[in-house]
Amino acid sequence: MVVRQYNEELKYLEKINSYCWRIKKGFQPNMNVEGVFYVNSTLEKLMLEELKNACRPGMVGGFLPGVKQIANVAALPGIVGRSVGLPDIHSGYGFAIGNMAAFDMNDPNSIVSPGGVGFDINCGVRLLRTNLFEKDVYPVKEQLAQSLFDHIPVGVGSKGIIPMNAKDLEEALEMGMDWSLREGYIWAEDKEHCEEYGRMLNADSSKVSTRAKKRGLPQLGTLGAGNHYAEIQVVDEIYDKWAACKMGIEEKGQVCVMIHSGSRGFGHQVATDALVQMEKAMKRDDIQTNDRQLACARINSVEGQDYLKSMAAAANFAWVNRSSMTFLSRQAFAKQFQMAPDDLDMHVIYDVSHNIAKVEEHIVDGKQKTLLVHRKGSTRAFPPHHPLIPVDYQLTGQPVLIGGTMGTCSYVLTGTEQGMLETFGSTCHGAGRALSRAKSRRNIQYTEVLRRLEEMDISIRVASPKLVMEEAPESYKNVTDVVNTCHAAGISKKAIKLRPIAVIKG
Amino acid sequence: MSQFTAEELELPEKKYEYLDHTADVQLHSWGQSLEEAFEQCGIAMFGYMTELDSVEIKQCVEIEAKADDLEGLLFQYLNELLFLFSCEPFLICNKIVVTEFHTQTDNCRIKCKCYGEEFQIGKHPQGTEVKAITYSAMQIVNDVKSKRFELFVIIDI
Repeated sequence: MVVRQYNEELKYLEKINSYCWRIKKGFQPNMNVEGVFYVNSTLEKLMLEELKNACRPGMVGGFLPGVKQIANVAALPGIVGRSVGLPDIHSGYGFAIGNMAAFDMNDPNSIVSPGGVGFDINCGVRLLRTNLFEKDVYPVKEQLAQSLFDHIPVGVGSKGIIPMNAKDLEEALEMGMDWSLREGYIWAEDKEHCEEYGRMLNADSSKVSTRAKKRGLPQLGTLGAGNHYAEIQVVDEIYDKWAACKMGIEEKGQVCVMIHSGSRGFGHQVATDALVQMEKAMKRDDIQTNDRQLACARINSVEGQDYLKSMAAAANFAWVNRSSMTFLSRQAFAKQFQMAPDDLDMHVIYDVSHNIAKVEEHIVDGKQKTLLVHRKGSTRAFPPHHPLIPVDYQLTGQPVLIGGTMGTCSYVLTGTEQGMLETFGSTCHGAGRALSRAKSRRNIQYTEVLRRLEEMDISIRVASPKLVMEEAPESYKNVTDVVNTCHAAGISKKAIKLRPIAVIKG
Repeated sequence: MSQFTAEELELPEKKYEYLDHTADVQLHSWGQSLEEAFEQCGIAMFGYMTELDSVEIKQCVEIEAKADDLEGLLFQYLNELLFLFSCEPFLICNKIVVTEFHTQTDNCRIKCKCYGEEFQIGKHPQGTEVKAITYSAMQIVNDVKSKRFELFVIIDI
């Protein structure tokens, strides 16, 4: 890392408008393109403070601030356009979380980086609607929360309850949600409202280590821990009545279920295995990066191709995982209300992936190019009329699901033309952490967090009490700030605001 | 009667802590030797997954890891431990004893005995899940002269 005084560092940053900053070349060595990040005045302070803290000389055990990481990504071979930081950005490993970058598939030097996808491959959010209203659910809220908690395995060491053997897993890895459909866990329409129709066709399970499969098998159909959750939410505000209508959301008070989870130990192991492979490829092909965590390989190399195939398998795993939990949620609701999930109209509104790399067509400097778009902690947000979004959303633009944190609101946005031009059709993914986990544990009282949730009339079921402190809303950036920044900057548009009434966590 | 000797059942003193990192957790461990710092680092990781007080020694599994350099060794070693927990035997450990330790470049190797039991929901409080080990800001202090042995590792959670 280049070490400069904070004031010197600031010379490389330029505020373009109230929501957007430019990172000039030279901020980090070998930058091929410039960086950019989107923040409002509140988020700007957090961002610059992180940089300031990192400028103290003689630090031990420190880490790179997000803004430096955006610049390091801008130095990767084959990057086009700009390295983009979204409003929820915070320091990650290699890539920052809330960072997107696109690489030209036709440039032989272009790379693919597992760090640009993250360990939790195809971590994402799914939103189910119901035809119930808050008044229907309120009297049985506690029972329903308990029922969801009993149905969905959560937390460290929990095991899936969907029967699976090694052969089933192989098939699920190749087929994604087609597997879930064949086995009767989902409805055919679910696939329609899912990125890639819930199946990446280039998945190849023979490129996945036995170790990853072993880790994955017991965990399929489990929620996980950390920031993952299942929530019962109600519509709190409708900003875009027409778009909401297309999503089957008619009025305030309508009840939805949001599921935030990923590819569990399977994806984590695929990423770990790839990092080891890439280190070798980097030495062989002499690829220079600014940070060891930015391990990468040329897209056309064996390592690069193997990673993309195993990443696709992990993406399929994640879709099957979210589908299994969709099934369990539908069961929980059906039992509680003594009605079939069909009659409760429990359709999937949409399912987004916010840790993934995809091959997409974009216009760069007036020319159409095939790009490998890395989105780490960033959600795809395609505009109206884009060929890759489902028929139902052709006129509204792709629904973008932004999960809040425990006790805070979540949002549904839609993709915009401006986002397509500025950020390769990408936007934020959530709140983004502000406080470290250790700090949260020290500063925040477990009972205090629970008391406040109770005050807000939110039922909570959580496997680990420690997590309640780590995941308290104070530990995160304000999701409303994040979403408003995306809206104001025009890279996506607000449609619906959702408020939690019950939270199930690891 | 336990199959383990009293010496085996004796738990080591705690020589680790958890440091601040925005999204994840940084493990910091130390010891009288690099071996001890490695042992402590492994226990620190398990300590994040549950309350170690709840773990009894009922099982012992031996693992081995190899790498080209020390950083790689630490990475691989923690990966092996995470794997022990993630599938059969779903082992949660409160004690690790290094039995072999080689640190020459291009041939780093560690062999150790991991003591603990199968993770059971109900008996062991659920802590936080460790997704992966990272190289991010990894530091190994191996200062034989002044007897300083410390490890810093960020785990992704």
